[in-house]
Amino acid sequence: MSDRPGVEPPGPWLQPLPTEETLSNGVRLLRMHLPGQQVISARLMVPVTLADEERVHEGVSVMMARLLDEGAGDLDAEAFAAALERHGAALGASAVEGGLSVDLDVPVRHLSGALRLMADAVGRPTFPEDEVRRVLRNRLAEIDYETASAPHRAGRELIATLWDPASRAARPAAGTPSTIGALTRSAIVERHAALAAAGGALVIAGDLQGIDVREAVEGSVGEWTGSGTAAAEPAAALPRLDGHTVVVVDRPGSVQSELAIGAPAPGRADPSWAAYPVMAYLLGGSPGARIDAVLREDKGYTYGIRAAMRPRALGGSFAVTGSVRTEVTAEALDLLRGILADTVKGFSRAELATGVDFITRATPGRWATADVIADELSALTLERLPMDFPSLTLRAMRRLAPDQVTEAAAAVASSVCSTVIVGDADAIIDDVRALGIGEVHVVTD
Amino acid sequence: MRLDYPIHERTLDNGLRVVVSPDHTVPTVAVNLWVDVGSRHESRGRTGFAHLFEHLMFQGSRNVASGEHFSALLAVGARLNATTWFDRTNYFETVPTGALDLALWLEADRHGHLLDAVNQANLDNQRDVVKEEKRQRYDNPPYGQELPDLYAALFPEGHPYAHPTIGSMADLDAATLEDVHAFYERWYGPRNTVLTLCGDVEAEDAFERVERQFGSLSSRPRPGHPIPVALAPLTEPVRLTRRADVPHDRLTIAFRLPADRTPGFLPAALALDILGGLATSRVVRRLVRGSQQALSVHSTAWGLVGGVSIGFLAIDVANGEDPDRVEAAVLSEVEDLAHAGPTSEEMQAVRAQSERGWLQALAHQDQRADLISHHTLLHDDPHAVNTHLEEVLAVTPEQIQAATTTLLRPEQRAVVAYLRAPHGAEEES
Repeated sequence: MSDRPGVEPPGPWLQPLPTEETLSNGVRLLRMHLPGQQVISARLMVPVTLADEERVHEGVSVMMARLLDEGAGDLDAEAFAAALERHGAALGASAVEGGLSVDLDVPVRHLSGALRLMADAVGRPTFPEDEVRRVLRNRLAEIDYETASAPHRAGRELIATLWDPASRAARPAAGTPSTIGALTRSAIVERHAALAAAGGALVIAGDLQGIDVREAVEGSVGEWTGSGTAAAEPAAALPRLDGHTVVVVDRPGSVQSELAIGAPAPGRADPSWAAYPVMAYLLGGSPGARIDAVLREDKGYTYGIRAAMRPRALGGSFAVTGSVRTEVTAEALDLLRGILADTVKGFSRAELATGVDFITRATPGRWATADVIADELSALTLERLPMDFPSLTLRAMRRLAPDQVTEAAAAVASSVCSTVIVGDADAIIDDVRALGIGEVHVVTD
Repeated sequence: MRLDYPIHERTLDNGLRVVVSPDHTVPTVAVNLWVDVGSRHESRGRTGFAHLFEHLMFQGSRNVASGEHFSALLAVGARLNATTWFDRTNYFETVPTGALDLALWLEADRHGHLLDAVNQANLDNQRDVVKEEKRQRYDNPPYGQELPDLYAALFPEGHPYAHPTIGSMADLDAATLEDVHAFYERWYGPRNTVLTLCGDVEAEDAFERVERQFGSLSSRPRPGHPIPVALAPLTEPVRLTRRADVPHDRLTIAFRLPADRTPGFLPAALALDILGGLATSRVVRRLVRGSQQALSVHSTAWGLVGGVSIGFLAIDVANGEDPDRVEAAVLSEVEDLAHAGPTSEEMQAVRAQSERGWLQALAHQDQRADLISHHTLLHDDPHAVNTHLEEVLAVTPEQIQAATTTLLRPEQRAVVAYLRAPHGAEEES
């Protein structure tokens, strides 16, 4: 073997930038040519706010999105699915705060035909009664699954304790059993009628050599205007202001405790954003990060615990999530809280560099495929960020000083207002209470 | 349709097989190693060992400290990991081009000189981590025992595929440092490994860089592998019922399929897609959209090399519906396919979806490298990335019908029925 080789630093990253134009229906067309990417990814983002859903019908936007391809244009649900499959296309749709997205992946030779189907899905869905009933029933089954799955159950409790109950963000985007149970076809039709194309964006990414994208798009999605009036403005999530909530969701006999610790945090539009992903990576982005260095590699309590930023259309949150074996629940929680608290002591320049180097150098390799790039560009439109935001952020990261990362850590550590444990309450409750984090609420499903 | 990704091969003097596929669209290189050892090679009482061993490959080697493999590569912007499966263990990282030599050096150190660094503390720690992985993936989530149950139902006790890669808690507890030494010395060596580089590097340059780091690894004879014995389909149905606190009943209907890349495997895989893997598949039309007795269905076909492969349909049953009736309806759909074969619409759909799936699998350097290693190590065919799709598209409706008739018969099924029971009423039968 030779001596350990050095590493040649990478050249400057030339972020792939889309060409931009506006379609006749007011939709921004973002076109990204990627040689060799034979499957084209199209992402249509339509402005939507979930905050204006009627309280009793929450989830209507997501249900409407899921029904877009269950019958559209002149085709019933089965015929529409068959038409997509003949084109080798995969189409899906969902909604989050700020936008309804319709995602299409299709081999390049079928792009035009698949775009016409996408246009029918968004513009001429028929919402057959049978399919409405089925999709709503499947959502109820999905909620049952989410209740049984510890990470999902923790996530639901996390948003409920992180955000003010008056805020739409405190409740699941796809609705609850009572709101889904109350939904009717007419509420879904009405929701669809409120969509407006203007202010939306369509990303087309892949090997577009020799393809007349403008023509394919104008003859399909470009013809859709929507019957709504104005582009919806995204709503901010309001943090809870009543102190730290600790919730134990009781799972008798559970062999692990699922932990989730959350804090409100800035979104990507915040001027100090660049420090936050670096901070989250240094805390919980790898087996050597501060959390897993202790909880996994030293103690062997967990397969892995992650810390991550969760940006929203406006603002966002910071969350630490993962599972530990039941017997060590309180100790693991105490260690996690200690690691968060210790961030006030600061980060060395060398530690900072490991985070900045990872994120800045790994990004070019991640921006490699049509689907990833289309998702990234589409998220930028949702958050109303400029297309060169990723490269600007990397530049800002390279200029970060340790103090800025310490400040970001201090900001989230001091805002932690939510601790959720999904586990065996009898086995852990006394030790968790003894930590003195705050009043502990036990929830039984 | 034939694809044209460039493929260059060379075998080092010590037996390491190297494949290079240049692609300069992104300034990164995917480094991917497949070692010909997986859970099928494990001995009785040591289930889960191949995977536990994979964890130890990150805990230091002769010139690399514990955890440094991860930290050194992350610090240069790599994305990396390793996985263990029935037939193999893979190790991979995608690095910026300028870090290729470092990645090769780190891999050569652990693939050539691991045992200098292995110690009891590392073994004990990673045993604990793997036990948490088992709890997180199998013991705690709803339906977590679905796949281990399926393997146990489909294969005779002691068969190489009868146990999951994660193993059992008792066997993990039993693993010793001596086991680690013996396993490494037996299975880890250049002749039992394939290294693929896919990305921003030219072939000759890549071969030179690999030679520099791996050329000095000592050559050992290729280990003797268990000789695959073709396992015929079941001759009578097997049923494993588990009552547990799950949100709805789930039926997993599994079949023994022929070994990967032997006649019958691809047609059977496409038959399962036509039955349950498309948005317009027969079970979707009948039970999901039609009678709405099922919430969803999906199909899976895992090609394996140990004389048999695994195919199954998993059906989530709507609450209030009778799982036995759902199962009977699924079986009648299988019989209809066996009787009349696929329609031309179904052939068009399954071909078009296979095409998109394969092209998307090849879209990124890292997955492309993994597929090249896969077909080179297990099938001696580095060019499969370019030819596999043609083979899929060439499968005829008659072959699909024949595969359904001979491989997916009702008496050839193993069923895992995961049924709802109130908490505290869990049982297995």
